[in-house]
Amino acid sequence: MANSADIFPRERKTRLPGGYMGRILRVDLTTGSMRDENLPEEPLLRKFIGGQALASYILLRELPLDAKPYGRENKVVMMTGPITGTGFTPGGTKVTAVYLSPLTNHTLGRGAASGFWAVTLKAAGYDGVIIEGAASNPTYLFINEGKPELRDAGRVWGKGALETEDLLRAEVGLKDARVMCIGPAGENLVHAAMLCNDYNHNAAHSGGAVFGSKKLKAIVVHGTARPSLHDRERLIEAGLRWRNTLVVRHEAEKRTAGHAVDLGGAPNFNFRSTVIEESHIEGFDKNRVTLRPCFQCQRLCPWDVELKAGKHSGTLGHFNAGSEWLDTFYNLGVRGNDALYLAQRINDLGIECSHFSCGVGVAFEAWEKGLLNAEKTGGLKFEWGNVEVIDRLLDMAARREGYWGNLFAEGPVEVAEAIGGDAPKWIVHTKKGTPALHDWRPHFGQMIREIVASGGMKPQGGGSVNPPPDLKYREKWGPLDRDNPAGWPWSNALSEQYRQFCGLIGGCWFAQMHMKPDGIKSIVDSFNATTGWNFDIDQALEAGHRSAMLQSIFGTQRGWIAEHDWKEVGPRFLEPLPDGKHKGFTIAKWLPDMVYEYHRLMGRHEKTGRPFMDTLKKLGLEEFEEWAQLD
Amino acid sequence: MGQKYGALIPTGRLLDGRPRTILFDAAKCIGCRQCVQACKDWNDHPRTTLYELSSTNWITMEPPVLEGLSPIWARNSCMHCEFPMCAAVCPVEAITKYEEGPVVINQDTCIGCEYCIYACPWGVIAKNDITHKASKCTMCSDRVSENKSPFCVQACPVQALDFGFQDEISAKAKQRAEETGGYVYGEKEAGGSQLLYVLKEKEESYGVPAVGPQKYPRHRIPLVLMLKDLFTLRCGLAGKARALYLALIHPKRLIYRYWPWRKEG
Ligand code: SF4
Ligand code: SF4
Ligand code: SF4
Ligand code: SF4
Repeated sequence: MANSADIFPRERKTRLPGGYMGRILRVDLTTGSMRDENLPEEPLLRKFIGGQALASYILLRELPLDAKPYGRENKVVMMTGPITGTGFTPGGTKVTAVYLSPLTNHTLGRGAASGFWAVTLKAAGYDGVIIEGAASNPTYLFINEGKPELRDAGRVWGKGALETEDLLRAEVGLKDARVMCIGPAGENLVHAAMLCNDYNHNAAHSGGAVFGSKKLKAIVVHGTARPSLHDRERLIEAGLRWRNTLVVRHEAEKRTAGHAVDLGGAPNFNFRSTVIEESHIEGFDKNRVTLRPCFQCQRLCPWDVELKAGKHSGTLGHFNAGSEWLDTFYNLGVRGNDALYLAQRINDLGIECSHFSCGVGVAFEAWEKGLLNAEKTGGLKFEWGNVEVIDRLLDMAARREGYWGNLFAEGPVEVAEAIGGDAPKWIVHTKKGTPALHDWRPHFGQMIREIVASGGMKPQGGGSVNPPPDLKYREKWGPLDRDNPAGWPWSNALSEQYRQFCGLIGGCWFAQMHMKPDGIKSIVDSFNATTGWNFDIDQALEAGHRSAMLQSIFGTQRGWIAEHDWKEVGPRFLEPLPDGKHKGFTIAKWLPDMVYEYHRLMGRHEKTGRPFMDTLKKLGLEEFEEWAQLD
Repeated sequence: MGQKYGALIPTGRLLDGRPRTILFDAAKCIGCRQCVQACKDWNDHPRTTLYELSSTNWITMEPPVLEGLSPIWARNSCMHCEFPMCAAVCPVEAITKYEEGPVVINQDTCIGCEYCIYACPWGVIAKNDITHKASKCTMCSDRVSENKSPFCVQACPVQALDFGFQDEISAKAKQRAEETGGYVYGEKEAGGSQLLYVLKEKEESYGVPAVGPQKYPRHRIPLVLMLKDLFTLRCGLAGKARALYLALIHPKRLIYRYWPWRKEG
């Protein structure tokens, strides 16, 4: 371990494919030393490409087996991909960070951010960053035009993400510098603290806590470079084709209850009702809403709002795709513009919203059911929809203040254990991580995805009723039945592979998910035109598969087994749906079979989760044979 | 064409001679700056420095704040004047007005005298620090000559930019102004431009200058600059020779350069 000299050649002997800047910055915060690593030689680069796969390969090679999430020895490896920042494709915005997850203590933690930061990291001359060690004082890393520098972050320590961004931009004196930082939650090791960049394009799932443990407040990037392109004309053509497969979002949608509407229900009162009422969107029609797309992406996910109604009228909010932050507060009984106000607050503090919601949800339910009272809560009324109390709890959680602040920072499992009684039955979690906060329960495809994800990360995958049109040449199945589990595990395994691929190349899966003809082909073509490689769709899926395999090997090395996937799930997440169109539906009666089947289809042993030797050979990962399932 | 512009400025044809116009609709613009980055991408200009016009940043979106932080936005780039004062003052005829619309600075001919920079009523020309030549938006003349729309236009994710034949765009602009309760900017300014704006608020709220209707409007080239160029070899010997030669064969242009307030004819 730790010897990875063979990954990064002293001098590259092979061609640097298009799309890459050619180097990764390695920063040791303990000593303050920094050095450039050359990108791997072409064969290795072709295998792992970038994003999660290259980052987790580096981590697998370098992270000691006995590393602790908050120990100096933990590392954060952040990688973009070749299509990040070319400007000619939608979704070319991604950076993925991986590390040992403090949520689970034994699986891969992963967060991915869109926006502008990743593009600007490349403009500053780097494809990625490896962060090691820990600083003794609050520090930030400033990379300007290929020159990295560690600076004192004392002035911004304790500040929220937005203010930190503004202050650091002012401090470096460059208006178009871009900032990725942590809020107070990261500083105080709230396990689910996020990395925050570009006004709330957050990378959730604990990266912020690992930054905090290293006293790294931010990475500020600025530069003018752009990657070379193998075939610019072909890239422009493929990028336009890709663009034509997008389902573009609209302002009107930002005045609805968000993704809950698509899913057919919002989580309410700690997942005990799914009904969406008028009050959920109260005031939304009065707000000023402006779409604020990521770098050169026409899907238009992110948006800004100026609240024009309600108690917090005048508040500016900045939101990204997904709308988890809305369901987060619906789940606590908050409605309308108050939910947007709190969503802005939680983003600024840098707490992963679902982690907070699932913990506080259990506590509020306990209050409702009489397990908690004012004596036990320090006088705070844990009532549904009590905006002042939730506002207060946000600050307490972000700073681990008091008994409850500390518990909410720990997580829903700890909250429930502390409350005792029946509370552990009310938790929603998977391996102590929490699902992106929506009510996924009515959907096989999404539930299997959430359950098999590594817990400390956003899951990828999520099956579809039919295979994407571009895969019809090899996938002969569907339409799947939404009430019958048959076919869903494979549907999920497959989408995990193509979504992983989209991420590896530096793309955003939101720009990929539309299931239109040419939706995958145009992405693979964009990738080929950028790099000069010649992947076909099968090879692209294989690259995605390889990435998913590295992720599970990382867990295998540290004690994860496939059985955890269905055994370590919060009971509430598996309860039959309380109401609505899909009342009574639960995936629970199909477990563990669906989980077993998924792992088999991915080429792992169904119970241990270890990859079979055949799988490792097929994916060119023989070097990990020590972790294979041998019988 | 020759008729319209007189012998005052160099003219040319890229494609079919039909005038075209870019439309910027402020009511639709979300200030995302994808047009700004697209221009950089097409022209291979360095990333960032999005907030100021420069020789490698040919459009800005005003005000100069982060995307999402302003309720209104305006484009700031070359207007592709029908009567471009920049071209009228250029001593070496480096600036050509194409019939299709683009006003383009020829980088090989430019001697970097900066007259155009001061003459442009919109202040949208910048000098390149390295080549010392003047530089600005070309209306993507390379694309227009292939009958494609400018790259910024095709990049706009909310169709706040449009491009087409002048008469059609002009009609569209009027219609949009009516729909939004706004007005059209650019039709009369400096005798008319081939970039039209539909604005809702007053010009100043967008940071857009008020420009009078006069064709070839009076310029503000500092006297010192002109004297300097007259007596020094600031622009190189060859450039000076070219400027003198052109002054001899087109004496009328000298009037525009030095006494722009004199009426034509
Ligand atoms: S706006 Fe300025 S640079 Fe553009 S054509 Fe008119 S005078 Fe010339
Ligand atoms: S700088 Fe001088 S020579 Fe160059 S285009 Fe402008 S006026 Fe002409
Ligand atoms: S027309 Fe072309 S040159 Fe002008 S701003 Fe648009 S992209 Fe840039
Ligand atoms: S791309 Fe369109 S919406 Fe975005 S700033 Fe430019 S004109 Fe406005």
